[in-house]
Amino acid sequence: MVEPAVLSVDGLTTEFRIAGKWHAAVRDIGFELARNETLALVGESGCGKSITALSIMGLIPKAAGRVAKGRILFEGRNLPELADDEMRKIRGDRIAMIFQEPMTSLNPVLTIGFQVAEVLRYHRDLGPGEARAQALDILDQVKIPSARDRLDDYPHQFSGGMRQRVMIAMALACQPRVLLADEPTTALDVTIQAQVLVLLAELKQRYGMSMIFISHNLGVVATIADRVAVMYAGEIVEIAPVGELFDRPTHPYTEALLRSIPRVDRTSDALVAIPGQVPPISRMPQGCRYAPRCGLKQPICERAGPPLEPVPGSGATHRARCWVRAGGTGAAA
Amino acid sequence: MLQYLVKRLLFAVPTLLAVLTVVFFIARILPGDPAQVILGEQASAEAIQALRLRLGLERPLIQQYAGFMAGALTGDWGSSMVTGRPVLGEVLNVIPYTIELTAASVILGAIIGIPLGVWSALHRNRLIDYVTRIGSLLGLSFPAFVMAIMLLLVFAIQLSWFPVISSGGSGSLGVRLQHLALPAINLGIIMAAYITRVTRSSMLEVLGEDYIRTAHAKGVPALAVVWRHSLRNALIPVVTVVGLYLGILIGNSVLTEIVFNRPGLGKLIVGALTQRDYTMLQGLMVVYTFVIVVVNLLTDLTYGMIDPRVKYQ
Repeated sequence: MVEPAVLSVDGLTTEFRIAGKWHAAVRDIGFELARNETLALVGESGCGKSITALSIMGLIPKAAGRVAKGRILFEGRNLPELADDEMRKIRGDRIAMIFQEPMTSLNPVLTIGFQVAEVLRYHRDLGPGEARAQALDILDQVKIPSARDRLDDYPHQFSGGMRQRVMIAMALACQPRVLLADEPTTALDVTIQAQVLVLLAELKQRYGMSMIFISHNLGVVATIADRVAVMYAGEIVEIAPVGELFDRPTHPYTEALLRSIPRVDRTSDALVAIPGQVPPISRMPQGCRYAPRCGLKQPICERAGPPLEPVPGSGATHRARCWVRAGGTGAAA
Repeated sequence: MLQYLVKRLLFAVPTLLAVLTVVFFIARILPGDPAQVILGEQASAEAIQALRLRLGLERPLIQQYAGFMAGALTGDWGSSMVTGRPVLGEVLNVIPYTIELTAASVILGAIIGIPLGVWSALHRNRLIDYVTRIGSLLGLSFPAFVMAIMLLLVFAIQLSWFPVISSGGSGSLGVRLQHLALPAINLGIIMAAYITRVTRSSMLEVLGEDYIRTAHAKGVPALAVVWRHSLRNALIPVVTVVGLYLGILIGNSVLTEIVFNRPGLGKLIVGALTQRDYTMLQGLMVVYTFVIVVVNLLTDLTYGMIDPRVKYQ
């Protein structure tokens, strides 16, 4: 990568307090996000995808959570070190986020015109009139039909897909450098999903934005991502360019995940599931977190957690956290 | 909207009729005889009989009922059995005092209760929150008349800031407010205690909503998140409680009016009850029912002002 990364996360560990003890919900997360790149974070519910995004946004609830370790470098600054108000100025302006639930993520008592314009008023110091004019422009760009007449409508007057467009408009109003999209299409039906994905890709291109796209839908990821990071139990277990990941899944979890996608072109109607369960946050295994469910388990796997290391036979861009299949030590053990 | 109003008011008519019927019969079932009460223990049987005849109490019950209903509907609420003065006039005389007291205590309750509830919610499980919660619990559990007497002892008798007998005051606004202050504070504290608790729990719920997270993600300053994004959403349960509580407040105002010796509906109704003043009692019940109907209607209309999703039809 010649260009410096727009966002670089290194050794990020975010902890939550459960019954008086701190437990890491995500551990040692590291990745770099290049300009214009889309990085997908995939994994099952509770694996720490959203926590990673909320940590970047500085939105981990203070009462019970904290970013315990690691750096999040953005525009030359380490975000976890910033004061609340400095972080607030970055949120919604330089880094924006859209959420999974369009039905509940908009304020029901404020008009959508107000909610979009508000971002511009706080970050661009625009007066109400000017902010409203720009809000209209951005609502047009996300293709809200007859946006001018709908500025004073309330969220409940919009369908789910339209609300997600409003969310996107709010997130993009200040043309952020990084967009965090947390399952933006999961709550939508399939045709609307496709429309929203196309819209996101289009706008990303237009603004030269980088995107972290969180999903558990591997089909969606295959169409939108440049690179994919697979997360399991709070760790990135494999990261690779999208084609490479689908062609050569290396971590046994990635492999199992890909195998479990139901396919319409096969007659078998049995779903392939991964045996066992994700360990609870308070009882993480000593060694590799996937070891209890892994078919390739070796003695070392239960003793120590493997580092994220390059996969033999591919460039440094493909890395996996596996004693058996990645790094130099695996073969020896 | 107008259609909705008319519909709601029309629905109130059967409610009023039902209440009138119930009140009429309950009054007749109550032990005691108005004629006996008016004339006293020593009255002769003949005198009582004569008075009963004059008051129309000797007519068959059904006839009395028909006469009463016809009167109530045509606006003729009869005259007090005790004083002989028209019921309607008596009620209209004291109603401004009651409205004044109720309005003042609701306003006071909201001014104290809403910010306190918000504050408490924002400092959940911290010292401030515990102090507020204990304070509001005390406000709720303290009987209105006990607090009234304490207020009188301290502010009227020890400090002499306010009159001991809040006759309602007349003339200048200053005098009126001075007479209003202690009774309004008395009821306002109770109101504030309720409002604080509801605001707190409602705010806590709203602060956990997805759209509040969205507001933070947009970089909205914390104060604006609280006042613009959260409070309006949190107000609906508060309005409900204020509406419901207005009914209780009118009940509490009975005790307050007696302790402070202030004119009002409450004092009137206690007098009517002890004297078995059937006509007065009936008239007052009509007024109370009407007040509750109007308060409920206002509550419903307020929902629409707060929440754009509420539609009237």
